Amino acid sequence: MALRRYTRSVDGSIPIPALLYNDEELVASQDGVGIYDGLVKSPDHQAGSIYVSTHRLFYIDTQNEQTRSFAVDLAHVTGTEYYAGLFTSSAKTTLYLASPNASGTEGGSSVPSLAEDSGESWECEVCAYRNPPGLSPAAARICGLCGVPRSALTVPESSRPSSSSSRPLSSSLPSSPPKSGHAIPRAEIQRPSSAISCPACTFLNHASLRNCEICSTPLPRSDSKRAPAKSAPASRPDSPDNEDDKRFIKVSFRKGGDKVFYSALKRSLKGKAWEIIGANNAAAAPKDADGHKALSRSGIYGILKVVETSAHTRDSDLQDSLKDLEALMVKAKEMVRVAAELNERLTATSTLAPAGSGLQQSSGTSTPATTTLIPSTEPEEATFIRSSLAQLGLQMANTPVTLDMMKDERRWIEELARELGQVLQGTGRAEQRHSYTLSSADEQAGSGLMGQRGILALDEVWGGWNRARGVALIPPSTFLQVLPHLSSFTDPPVRMRTFASGLSVLHTPPYTDAAFAARLTSLLTLAGPRTTLDVAQEERLTVGLAEEMLRAVEGAGHVCSDDPASAIRGTGTGGQVRWWSNVFQAYVWDGQIEDLAVS
Amino acid sequence: MALSTHTTSSGYLLPSIHSAPPFFTQQPNSSTQAVVTEHWTRIILGYARHRRLFFLRIEDAEVAGGDWDEVFRNERINRRLLPDHLQTILASMAGKSQAVYEPPKQTRAVLLYWRRPEEWAEVLHTWVSSTGHMNTIMTFYEITDPPVESPLSGIPEVLLRKAIAILAKTGRAQMIGAADGDGVRFFASGGK
Repeated sequence: MALRRYTRSVDGSIPIPALLYNDEELVASQDGVGIYDGLVKSPDHQAGSIYVSTHRLFYIDTQNEQTRSFAVDLAHVTGTEYYAGLFTSSAKTTLYLASPNASGTEGGSSVPSLAEDSGESWECEVCAYRNPPGLSPAAARICGLCGVPRSALTVPESSRPSSSSSRPLSSSLPSSPPKSGHAIPRAEIQRPSSAISCPACTFLNHASLRNCEICSTPLPRSDSKRAPAKSAPASRPDSPDNEDDKRFIKVSFRKGGDKVFYSALKRSLKGKAWEIIGANNAAAAPKDADGHKALSRSGIYGILKVVETSAHTRDSDLQDSLKDLEALMVKAKEMVRVAAELNERLTATSTLAPAGSGLQQSSGTSTPATTTLIPSTEPEEATFIRSSLAQLGLQMANTPVTLDMMKDERRWIEELARELGQVLQGTGRAEQRHSYTLSSADEQAGSGLMGQRGILALDEVWGGWNRARGVALIPPSTFLQVLPHLSSFTDPPVRMRTFASGLSVLHTPPYTDAAFAARLTSLLTLAGPRTTLDVAQEERLTVGLAEEMLRAVEGAGHVCSDDPASAIRGTGTGGQVRWWSNVFQAYVWDGQIEDLAVS
Repeated sequence: MALSTHTTSSGYLLPSIHSAPPFFTQQPNSSTQAVVTEHWTRIILGYARHRRLFFLRIEDAEVAGGDWDEVFRNERINRRLLPDHLQTILASMAGKSQAVYEPPKQTRAVLLYWRRPEEWAEVLHTWVSSTGHMNTIMTFYEITDPPVESPLSGIPEVLLRKAIAILAKTGRAQMIGAADGDGVRFFASGGK
């Protein structure tokens, strides 16, 4: 019974950090726990994890995390008991629960659950500050900037009962709502005869006034409320005390960790984080009459202070959002897995489909009508889904190789080289048939990163590869380790070469130094001197790459250059170096023969 | 592109390589550049001998209008030898004793050895004996500027002194210091 009354169901599929209020902190967690409702086991809550935060206790069920998870406000906990366990009986922590309203002190520190309200932002009536959602109920009750209670103006009385009546406890206790409603903050001004402070401007009005003299804000009526406040203890007998003995739940620690958890729980209970703001508020309210302490919370100083603290919280928010990102990553991994599964299934059906149609042709009428449908519709759908997956970067014929798949680093590097080979040269002829590329032109050009080109700069390869992987990116250091192995996994073998300038490229055999030099020499012999641009066009290379390759060939002495800087007229500012086949190599002197005789 | 030889207005036959534009570019490849330098050296020494030029300065490649224009500029292919390129060629020549920096301790002018000093010494001795000046004292002026043109006409004094010094070592000449200029006495052959 206690379980149903004091707990609120939560969606356990949401990561815990996302469930917390802005001013709430996760303190400890433990898995492998079961819950006792009173003395008996609660059948629905026997396998799960328990988390304790500064405000609440969460139980997240392992099996049915969405339906069976719940949260308990620590404000309800009146006492705890620890049982160390004996033989087969595991360690348990007993939490005694009580309604904070029924047992609460007059200080108004008790927290009426505003769970429904804390989920939305609201504008303060006094300073027009828009309070962000996500604060704990206690914190959400007052404006974050000026410290004025939220419903102080509009609904001082009516909102409280309505909100508290939505709690399971209150709904089951018809007698308590009106009383608990009256037991709340502004009512309990200790000096009955004297002034009433205005909730908006803190001006002390005469007790008989209904509206504030200064700002015309409706004043809380003190005398009508004090009497019920005093009668608040009387509400206790009204609540069904016959169930008192069952007002506890037990947490059974089947996998240990009980001591750590219990001490964390005690700390949270002692910290009373849910009371801090309420207590501040309560402390401010009675002293309004004196007009001293109120200044520290409201006024310019208060606002400045709040702005200062909000800067602090913004910092911590940033760190919280990083935690959110972590939670997101967990989901992303799942999504990639789903995509891979989907892809596999599509591949399976697309290979099945042609077989089915073939069967139909051979056996004629025997094939059911459904198979005739599949070949016509399936490819379009499949390509659509696949292209969507590809656009999301989730196209994975095989999921990226990561270190944890491999036993040792050597094998890992080799697997990476194999994967890189596929990225560069497409996934081989067998899979090229159902290539995922959208345009047929691309398909003909080869699906790999290299396509028709025989030479690629290293940075482009690295970028392209990581784009293809999508997750588990490869650092440059590993990339460089992989490259030497690449030639054994590619056909034609792709090798790396580094030019004098330090530019590194991957290239196929036609772009080795020797092959290129031979081609270049024949080009220059046939067509005469050429500029770098001409060569780049001829070889379908970028100008930069062509320049690098020509310099390399020149270094080997196969060609020589003609620099227009040595022109007599129009000394080549815009002129380009022209490349000649090496005219000096086979040159035989045909100039003047010196007359060595003494003339 | 067929390259052809060219005869300059002074009658010197330039090799066909001289009409190839890359010949005027300093080649980054050292072995190619070695070939280029070798050909340039040959052209420079040949042309110097042809025109009886003894000195070569970097300025000759920088400014048009000097004695070396025919060699260092090829108007037909719009190419000229850049001063930097010439400087490396000269450095190579000085390294191979085909020229010597003159004056020493700078690199912008050389004295060309289209005949080595030893050869010049022989030429000098032959000329002295053929003109019957043995055992007589001769001034330098008489040697560099004889009334009848000789192979030694116009030889720079620096080079002449080197040649005489070589002869003096083998006892075939003797330097004589005088107030108004040095003189030299030649002997028929080794030994006094």
